[in-house]
Amino acid sequence: MPRLTLKGLSKAYGPLRVVDDVDLTLQEGEFVCLLGPSGCGKTTTLRMIAGFIEPTAGSISMDGEVLSMPSAVLPPERRRMSMIFQSYAIWPNMTVAENVAFGLKLQKLPAAQVRMRTSEILEVVQMGHLADRYPAELSGGQQQRVALARAIVVKPAVLLLDEPLSNLDANLREEMRFEIRRLHDEFRITTVYVTHDQAEAMATADRIAVMSAGRIEQVDAPHLIYTQPRTRFVAAFIGRTNLLEGRLANGEIGLDGFTLRAAQLGQEVPEAARPILLSVRPQAMSLYRSQPQLRDGRPLLPATVAQRTYLGESWDYVVRPQESGLQLRVTAPPLQVHEVGEQVWLELDPQQIAVVN
Amino acid sequence: MVMINRRLLFGLAAGGAAARFGIARAAEMRPHEKELYEAAKREGQVTWYTGQYQAEPSQAIGRGFTERFPGITVNVVRSTSQVAFQRLSQDIRAGVAQCDVFSSTDHSHLAFLKQNEKLMPYKPKNAAGLIKAAQQAADPDGYFQVTYLGLFLMGRRSDQVSEADAPKSWKDLLDPKWRGKIAVGHPGYSGAITSWCLAMRKLYGWDYFKALEKNQPQIGRSSADPVTMLNAGERSIAAALPSATTLLSISRGNPITLIYPTDGTLMVPAPSGALKNAPHPNAAKLFMEFMTSPTYYEITRPFFSESLRPEVPPPPGSRPLDEVTMITADPDELERDGQEVKELWRDTFGV
Amino acid sequence: MNETAAILPKSAAEGARRPGLLRRLRYLEPSNLLWVLLVAALLFLVAVPIGKLLIVSFEQQGTGAFTLSNYATAYGRVRYLEALGNSLMLGALSSLLAVVFAVPLAWAVSRTDMPGKGLTWAMVMGAFIMPPYLGAVGWILLAGPNSGFINQSWMWLTGLQTPLVNVYSFFGLALVISLHSFPLIFIFVKSALDLISSEMEDAANILGAGTWTTTRKVTLPLVWPAVLGGIIVVFLETVALFGTPAIIGIPARINVVTTQLWQFFEYPVRVEVAAAYAMPLLLITIGMIAVQKLLLARKGFVSQTGKGGERRPIKLGHWRWAVLAYCGFVGLLAVLMPLVVLLQASFAKAWGRGLAWDNLTLGNYTYLLFRHEMALTSIWNTLWFSAAAATAAVVIAVLIAYIVARKLVPFGSALGFLAMAPFVIPGIIMAIGFYAAYAAPPVALYGTALIIILAFTARFLPIAFANSAAAVRAVHPEMEEAARILGGGRLLTVRRITAPLIIRSLIGGWLIVFIVASRELSAAVFLVGPRTRTMSVLLYDLSEAGNFEVLAAFGGLLLAITLILVAVGMKLAGRDFMLRRS
Repeated sequence: MPRLTLKGLSKAYGPLRVVDDVDLTLQEGEFVCLLGPSGCGKTTTLRMIAGFIEPTAGSISMDGEVLSMPSAVLPPERRRMSMIFQSYAIWPNMTVAENVAFGLKLQKLPAAQVRMRTSEILEVVQMGHLADRYPAELSGGQQQRVALARAIVVKPAVLLLDEPLSNLDANLREEMRFEIRRLHDEFRITTVYVTHDQAEAMATADRIAVMSAGRIEQVDAPHLIYTQPRTRFVAAFIGRTNLLEGRLANGEIGLDGFTLRAAQLGQEVPEAARPILLSVRPQAMSLYRSQPQLRDGRPLLPATVAQRTYLGESWDYVVRPQESGLQLRVTAPPLQVHEVGEQVWLELDPQQIAVVN
Repeated sequence: MVMINRRLLFGLAAGGAAARFGIARAAEMRPHEKELYEAAKREGQVTWYTGQYQAEPSQAIGRGFTERFPGITVNVVRSTSQVAFQRLSQDIRAGVAQCDVFSSTDHSHLAFLKQNEKLMPYKPKNAAGLIKAAQQAADPDGYFQVTYLGLFLMGRRSDQVSEADAPKSWKDLLDPKWRGKIAVGHPGYSGAITSWCLAMRKLYGWDYFKALEKNQPQIGRSSADPVTMLNAGERSIAAALPSATTLLSISRGNPITLIYPTDGTLMVPAPSGALKNAPHPNAAKLFMEFMTSPTYYEITRPFFSESLRPEVPPPPGSRPLDEVTMITADPDELERDGQEVKELWRDTFGV
Repeated sequence: MNETAAILPKSAAEGARRPGLLRRLRYLEPSNLLWVLLVAALLFLVAVPIGKLLIVSFEQQGTGAFTLSNYATAYGRVRYLEALGNSLMLGALSSLLAVVFAVPLAWAVSRTDMPGKGLTWAMVMGAFIMPPYLGAVGWILLAGPNSGFINQSWMWLTGLQTPLVNVYSFFGLALVISLHSFPLIFIFVKSALDLISSEMEDAANILGAGTWTTTRKVTLPLVWPAVLGGIIVVFLETVALFGTPAIIGIPARINVVTTQLWQFFEYPVRVEVAAAYAMPLLLITIGMIAVQKLLLARKGFVSQTGKGGERRPIKLGHWRWAVLAYCGFVGLLAVLMPLVVLLQASFAKAWGRGLAWDNLTLGNYTYLLFRHEMALTSIWNTLWFSAAAATAAVVIAVLIAYIVARKLVPFGSALGFLAMAPFVIPGIIMAIGFYAAYAAPPVALYGTALIIILAFTARFLPIAFANSAAAVRAVHPEMEEAARILGGGRLLTVRRITAPLIIRSLIGGWLIVFIVASRELSAAVFLVGPRTRTMSVLLYDLSEAGNFEVLAAFGGLLLAITLILVAVGMKLAGRDFMLRRS
């Protein structure tokens, strides 16, 4: 039985549907990220799971028991979940240890056990030496660790995280990503993690649910989200890509200026003749100064460099294939330098091209 | 009813004489007092709503009663007379009986209560020993007695106005040389001033006030406000001052002298009565006896109140009443024309 | 993790009933019941008295039949209409004078390098906590045309026989009122000035404007909304003020709305006519608020909230001494001079004898403390009425603020509106409304402590609400959600998390309400009974008892109590707790 099930979950404020018919299932111990731009309904979904918001349609159930449905919501304090907030919400009037022990005391555990578990978890998040400090005396990262400890120490049935790293600076954010994943690997707590940062989602999640305009566009493992985006939104939102429109006919995909054989692609393409949308990642293409040898039937096109940007780790080129109105972004290694206006050869890897619905 | 009351003068003269011969207080309880005391002791207390005296003398009266009649405590509920009456009216409307004895400076309050059959018809035996003026101003049917006598006269700053220059009569206040020098209370705030207005109107017509207005008197609120103005030196002449407050102020060293107007010091009798539904009826009767006994006026004398018993001499600094020309406020007139006079005042003086 | 998984009982039979069960669980949230209670409390405290006032103004005395005669009576005399006009002119002149006092001070303290800012600040605070009627008494001692110290010194110095100043005049009355209301404008304007970045001024300077031009053309126009808000508050306060006009206005022969209302309360009480006569005050209030909206709607004043940029004090050079002198002058007028003469009088045997060693006494104080029948009672009344009102106001306010801020119920903002409504209802009207609604049977609260406490609670609810709303807003909702998700119910969360976080602010708010309630006269004077007189009312009564020394001593006691409270407040809630504006 799944740990957490969202079924047809919706939330509307008047005519505005903030969350629209969301279905999602989490197995026990699973880590799922809700990923999407701001305003896509991910935080609302999370807060419905927590019980702070009542759904207007659908249901949320845990271990087969309904927690939320319209006009029947189990209050948050009775869900045995815990949550980490964007603002950390560390109580400034309590010490670090008191913050962490709060949930345990509410469970009416014996004092000795509260003390033991508190100090254990503080060691796990490397905050043991700061147990008696007040939050105002801590850095942002340290407060984040306290929030983590406070949420994990109660061994929640589900752990919810609401953009927990958005207030940290870039270096610390990266560090905390791995910290969160490490803690998950250690405790295997079923986790729902809300973020708008795809790198964060990639680094932490078992599966990512990409949301847009209140709907879930795709739920998949991180690499599948990247390599096989199902929708135009997912393809454009996750990483950078070139979206190419074409027509499928007789096993051939006709594009602007060239064609691909459907059989060459990395995934099955249905045989019916229809318009088709392809996602070609900048990494799925290579540039050559002179015409290279044909490999595995990869399409090879003469092109002109139209723009270039040096990004340190790579070059970002915009090239125009000849006899085509397309503009394609291509990533090249730092040492591969082309001038604007230079004639180059563009090679596509069909294995890395995804068909988007 | 402005008149120089011969019988009153006679009574006062007799009182003064008695005081001079030093007829002592009645220290022993008289038989009818003893009888009431026995019954009142079982009730244990008496509640007195009063607006006649300031707080301190009111408390002294309460203590004096308990001293004389041990075992009976007095709940002194002191305020201005208007508030005391308002309070009593609220009690009556709510059907609560709290008050045993009610004392006011406003005659119309007691007249109203009598008319509405809220008073106990009890004429204290001690009242027979009061000065004549007090006996005459009492209710003929015995529903209430006069227990306080307010005297209203003029005053001057002795350091600024010599006796020779000072006005001698109410009429003298109209002299233009007192322009900007006079202070007076307000009939809207003080029943005594209302009585004074009525008396002046009777004597000289309302034109008196139109002429007074030309002298730009400083208008206060209560009848005691002009005392403050004299103390401050803000004004040098005060009209319609209460004698007790002024004498107290003089005793504190303020350079003030009383002027007894030749056209009559205003006397305002203030009544007290027991309530019909008094929760402690015997104590109420005993308190009425107390208020008409010499002891009562001995207690209030240090507070510069006039004595209504011939046995007790007038307060220090006060002229013996038998040497004073008097005009008496008429309660019926106050009841009838009080509102009219207030409105006339406001139209004349603007406030 | 399995041990945490059992959330609800799992039997299939129960599963079928679950929605019903959950529905009931949901209604266990106490906030809905609380909402109903708060609505009831607010209706009782605010809506009913004002509604009753409106109704009573159309009722025949005694019968309760509909009539317009009250209005005919209330406006049937020229004198009554003049009083109305006087009030309006007095309000206008007082607020104008208050601006003249307040704006330069606020500018000097907020934006310049003037020395003695702490002193100026303390002086404004002093003017704020000194009850206006006490200042009025002090000014009578100072500027009585013949006896006032100022005039006596003037006549002695010049040998002239005409006084320099006369407190018993329209201007005198307005001046005394403005000297105790200017701190309101000061607070408004200073907080607005504090928000303006120096870059705003730099931008004008770089274009060639000097300090004076910049201040006049840029800085002050930016705080215009604050000035206007202050003017309106002072205007409304002045129009609704009772004590000062009664003490100064009557000798000055100036009748105003409040003293006229008092006349309608003389025996026999004509509350119906008073109600009819009070209506223009309500209309004026509504009108002023509308005018403010209209004037501010036209320009974008949003920029002043911008926090960007540093704030540097303007260098005044030698002028800073001139500015300081002005601040000192205002302080002298508002606090120092009235205070000194009051204290002198309070320690004098006979005030008319002036300053002399053998004229000194503690007798006035010992008389009040040990022998006066009402003084101690009134002090005790004042303390406990104010404490009860402050407690009730803060409790109601914080609950409403919480419900509104957390959006716990629909139409929560309506609650907030009701809680703020008394802010725009003059205290004297509130009192008459309470009298009309609750004095007579069947409620029969006349003369009880309760009616005063309730009126104070209603009157000062907006202060408590503004304070509580700011305190609650400062607590991030996630602070509470973090406790709830860990298993704490709403009430436990409020008790363990929210309350400790806002308690300091609430103590500050409580003390402010306590202090303003302890000196409130306008509302109290209509509602006290014989046993429920407060210090302010007794002080007012003493002011007509012909004994100035005792009056001054009682004023000294009132000030001493207030100062102790302010000191406690500074200790518990921060130095500027009275003058902070949220």
